[in-house]
Amino acid sequence: MNQIGRAIPRLEARAKVTGRADYVHNIRVPGMLYGKIFRSTVPHGRIRHIDTSAAQAIDGVHAVITGEDIRAIIREPYFGPAFHDQPILALEKVHFVGEPVAVVLSPDPHIAEQAVQAIEADYEELPPVFDEVEAATSSAIVHDVLRPAGTFADLKHLAGRKNTNVTLDYHLRRGDVEKAFAAADRVFEHVFRTGQVLHVPLESHAALAEPGHDSLIIHTSTQTPSFVRTEIARLLGWPENRVSVKVPFLGGGFGAKVYVKLEALAAALALIVRRPVKIALTMEEQFYTISKHATTFRIKSGVTKDGQVTARACEVWWNGGAYADIGPRVAQKSGFTAAGPYDIDNVRIDSTEVYTNRPPAGALRGFGVPQLVWAYESHTDLIARELGIDPVEFRRKNILRDGRPHATGTIMKDAAIDKVLDRLAERMNWQAPFDRGNGTLKRGRGIAIGFKASISPTTSGAIVNVSADGSIVLYTNTIDMGQGSDTAMAQIVAEVLNVPAETVKVVHGNTDVAPYDMGTLGSRSTFHMGNAVRLAAEDARAKLAALAAEVGLPVRTNYDVKELFRKRYGMQAGNMIGAGTYIPRYTAPDPETGQSDNVTPFWMIGGTGAEVEVDTETGHVRVLRLVNVADAGKPINPKICKTQLSGGAIMQLGFTLYEDMVFDGGQVTNASFADYKIPGFRDVPVMESELVAAAQETGPFGAKGVGETSTFGVSPAIANAIQDAVGIRLTELPIKPEALLRALRAAEGRPIEEDS
Amino acid sequence: MIPFAWDEPKTLSEAVNLLDPDDPTVRPIAGGTALMLMMKAGVFMPSRLISLAKIEPLYSEITIDRAGAVRIGAMASLSKLERSGEAMEAFPLMKRALRTLSNVRVRNVACVGGALAHGDPHMDLPPLFAALGARVSVIGPAGKREIAVEDLYTGYYETVLQKNELIAEAIVPPLNGARASYMKITSRSADDWPALNIGVRLEKDGTRIRDARIVISAATEKVTRLSKTEKLLRGASPDDRSLAEAADVAAGEVSFLSDAHGSAAYKKELLRVCLKRAIREALS
Amino acid sequence: MKFSGEIAVKAPRESVFDRVQDARFFASCVEGVRNLVEVTPTRYTARFETKIAYIRFDFEVVVEVTRAERPHIIEARIEGKPHGIVGRLAANSSATFTQDGDDTRIQYAIEASLTGRLGSIGQPVLKSKAKDMERHFVQNMRAAFPGGVAEPAS
Repeated sequence: MNQIGRAIPRLEARAKVTGRADYVHNIRVPGMLYGKIFRSTVPHGRIRHIDTSAAQAIDGVHAVITGEDIRAIIREPYFGPAFHDQPILALEKVHFVGEPVAVVLSPDPHIAEQAVQAIEADYEELPPVFDEVEAATSSAIVHDVLRPAGTFADLKHLAGRKNTNVTLDYHLRRGDVEKAFAAADRVFEHVFRTGQVLHVPLESHAALAEPGHDSLIIHTSTQTPSFVRTEIARLLGWPENRVSVKVPFLGGGFGAKVYVKLEALAAALALIVRRPVKIALTMEEQFYTISKHATTFRIKSGVTKDGQVTARACEVWWNGGAYADIGPRVAQKSGFTAAGPYDIDNVRIDSTEVYTNRPPAGALRGFGVPQLVWAYESHTDLIARELGIDPVEFRRKNILRDGRPHATGTIMKDAAIDKVLDRLAERMNWQAPFDRGNGTLKRGRGIAIGFKASISPTTSGAIVNVSADGSIVLYTNTIDMGQGSDTAMAQIVAEVLNVPAETVKVVHGNTDVAPYDMGTLGSRSTFHMGNAVRLAAEDARAKLAALAAEVGLPVRTNYDVKELFRKRYGMQAGNMIGAGTYIPRYTAPDPETGQSDNVTPFWMIGGTGAEVEVDTETGHVRVLRLVNVADAGKPINPKICKTQLSGGAIMQLGFTLYEDMVFDGGQVTNASFADYKIPGFRDVPVMESELVAAAQETGPFGAKGVGETSTFGVSPAIANAIQDAVGIRLTELPIKPEALLRALRAAEGRPIEEDS
Repeated sequence: MIPFAWDEPKTLSEAVNLLDPDDPTVRPIAGGTALMLMMKAGVFMPSRLISLAKIEPLYSEITIDRAGAVRIGAMASLSKLERSGEAMEAFPLMKRALRTLSNVRVRNVACVGGALAHGDPHMDLPPLFAALGARVSVIGPAGKREIAVEDLYTGYYETVLQKNELIAEAIVPPLNGARASYMKITSRSADDWPALNIGVRLEKDGTRIRDARIVISAATEKVTRLSKTEKLLRGASPDDRSLAEAADVAAGEVSFLSDAHGSAAYKKELLRVCLKRAIREALS
Repeated sequence: MKFSGEIAVKAPRESVFDRVQDARFFASCVEGVRNLVEVTPTRYTARFETKIAYIRFDFEVVVEVTRAERPHIIEARIEGKPHGIVGRLAANSSATFTQDGDDTRIQYAIEASLTGRLGSIGQPVLKSKAKDMERHFVQNMRAAFPGGVAEPAS
């Protein structure tokens, strides 16, 4: 292979560092109006009245729009991938502090912002609910009636349901868990919690809608252009081809920019005022837009005295916030991996997503898996320690291997779980003794291993266009958001058509030109779009070979593609188009038992090892070393894959030690980088990233996804290392020095008093 | 953001005259890093900002005077201070502290005068300078006066400065054999607002401590000198027992602020532990 | 934000209760309250202006006395809208009165939340101001009754 496996620099790197790359925030068109959003100040309430008169009277304000104005042009102005529960602007009720209620439009964004402050809204307050376990049975009901979208068959049964906050309850039943618990030598039960955190991409959401006579162009920072087109067309009652979605580069996505976020609002406003409208969020507004599910996970295992796990029961509550977004999918698709990458005969999983009056939660790198791994890998270490068995040995004894059935019944294939575990142990030098220190600074080490199933079934299409001079353009709706997809796809085309990858031009994010793609999410693009791109390039190659035969060139000679076109068209003219579409095979899980013989086209496996130092007098934790080992199949670009591993680990490190949305009465009180801290250069430990030798047989040239893999094991590896160092187990994320110190002092018998 | 007026006086006295002692919506702005955050939060909406960027260049200079004191112009950026060879040689402690103060982009823009005048208890420069015994030279319509940095602060964002007074210069006396240390303890990322700042300056007489200045901030509403703790240490030998006693006195001497960086009880424990470390570090 | 504490004053419980229940007296103990208007005997509006250093806060406030059982307990709900900025201040307060010899002990508890821009980024400043207000309130209450003693809990 020539192009696959080359660690070439990203194709767009130079444009990005020289400030030439395009972003939606930079786009300006004539007549453009800026929209600024007026947001709810109560967590749950009925809208009595919105007074926009003072705002409208301000000089320079073009219009002030509310939900009712939108309802006048879009009869059912509700969107969402799983439930059509989110109004474009609030109607009748508000469901969280920060919900968009009205928009001011002005050619000057400062005037728009100023006018927002002059809007007044009057609400009849309703009791709010914020906790996920409480919400499952609370009498505070966030939505009066459930409205599943119909896009997902397994949510249909919820249509019209009232008096519940449950948006999805996923169940998996395998064997007989209660019987196995009764028969087990030991039974262990623990509860783990995670907080609500954010993607905070450096580029916040932005959308610009340009109305035509009976068409619309939407420039937007989205990971899912095809979905945006479909959803906007549905809202407007238009055929899809009248909506164009265009996406330049994204300054980070991480799941924040999937499905519809600002696009419906920009589109509706543009059509009401018949002028281009741009909405771009501030960093503070990110905190009101989309986030990661806070969770509570109760996990119980039955174990033999020599460490064989015979049964596991998992109860997971997902805090979905005020709108479902893709939350139900998280609860289900990640829900079925809740028992971990372990070979367990008896498994019971109940995974429930609920509405609460918090900002909505949706997809965030890992898609629920990091929260699950936090619980099951912490739980695994606790069991191993209790039984006096080495944590690596315990895992070796229980992990799932290729050929064995997963809890869903699907037989594992091309999932190098054992290899990842082995390489992790080797890199951590696990066999060698470890110096834990004997002063006030104690050291410890821990490992954790997690896995994720690729979402299914999904479709991707691609077009490869060979020009008359032989130069090649690839059209794809996979969006490069910094993960290097343009480069990887170019390498696939280049491999098939035998050209240097750097010469392939990639046109991405244009629904007029590139075929349907389900979305750049869930680490699915390398596999699904990569297969489609490969098929498209092979199609082009086959057509060129047919053309060669047609114009009389001898078979299998080295001909110049230019020659081919000149012979056919008499000059440098024409092109050759190859197209490819890919959808993997899939069997939907049984709604009662969660069983399926083909639940996913590929598995992602990620392991983390951590060495930490604990200051036993202050509770501070310093991560000295972080090792990421992953199975990403055969990497198309090993350099990019490794930076994905380190990037994912740094992100999860932030969620483990520093990040937490803090609420008071439903209001996020730390909505800025000054008070919501992400890791900086001085926080990043020595990091090692390794891809184990593996191959995904059904992937393009053996490749599969890698974007989320290093997020799985970071949190529990650190907690396991802390327990190794000082014998304290923390069960809530983020891990705080104060929490650790309090636990240490309580264990010593000198507890720290509570604040009065 | 509501439009406001912007002045760029060429001299410090012109700037003083533009300030209004009675109008809180008229404020001076140097680097603007702190003021801008407050404007973004909607907590402060100015009618007029007096930019100090164009005043006499002598106010950006950093020199060492004949007595060995470092004289820092209020408009010197934190980066300039960090990179001012001679001055930092006299105070390597300051150089280390500056490196962990916010991030490099902020340090390139933020100025020493603003860092001292803003009054946010989480900032690094005030407790550090107060511990070192620094003072500021302040210019107002009535003329010049000098204020010890430790006497500048009266509460959260509140200083003894009148609305039409400006810090012109900070003067840090030479150590002359004294030992000093500065500790910043954060609960989250390294560039976070701290849970506790401790500045220590000790003069030794043989094995005993002759004089001590101990200043804390961040865990308290304002920069606070631990005078009871200092009194205990004066004349004492810095052994484990006296340090433990000092730590207990310190923990009881102030009331602590509970916030996102820790509960009051936790900060009390932090002070107990870190005071000993700060003293030991100064003496090492 | 939560505040609680206890104020002891040398006066009989009934008279302390009556004075505290008098909105004008109560408002006079809180710095920055002006234009107090009685809409009904249990509902008042007012303007609340305060500052920290050069930062000004300005709220339109509505106070609703939700419970008044003489001489035991007074509960009120306060709603405030900041002037010229999107936001909402909401607070629930309670004061219970206990006779202790010659003294009356007033136990107060306030739970306040601030939403909108002030709540999302302005929290640390406002929390500090709120503590400052608590101190002044306690002092003013003490001063209003002869020979009072006060010790806020936090």
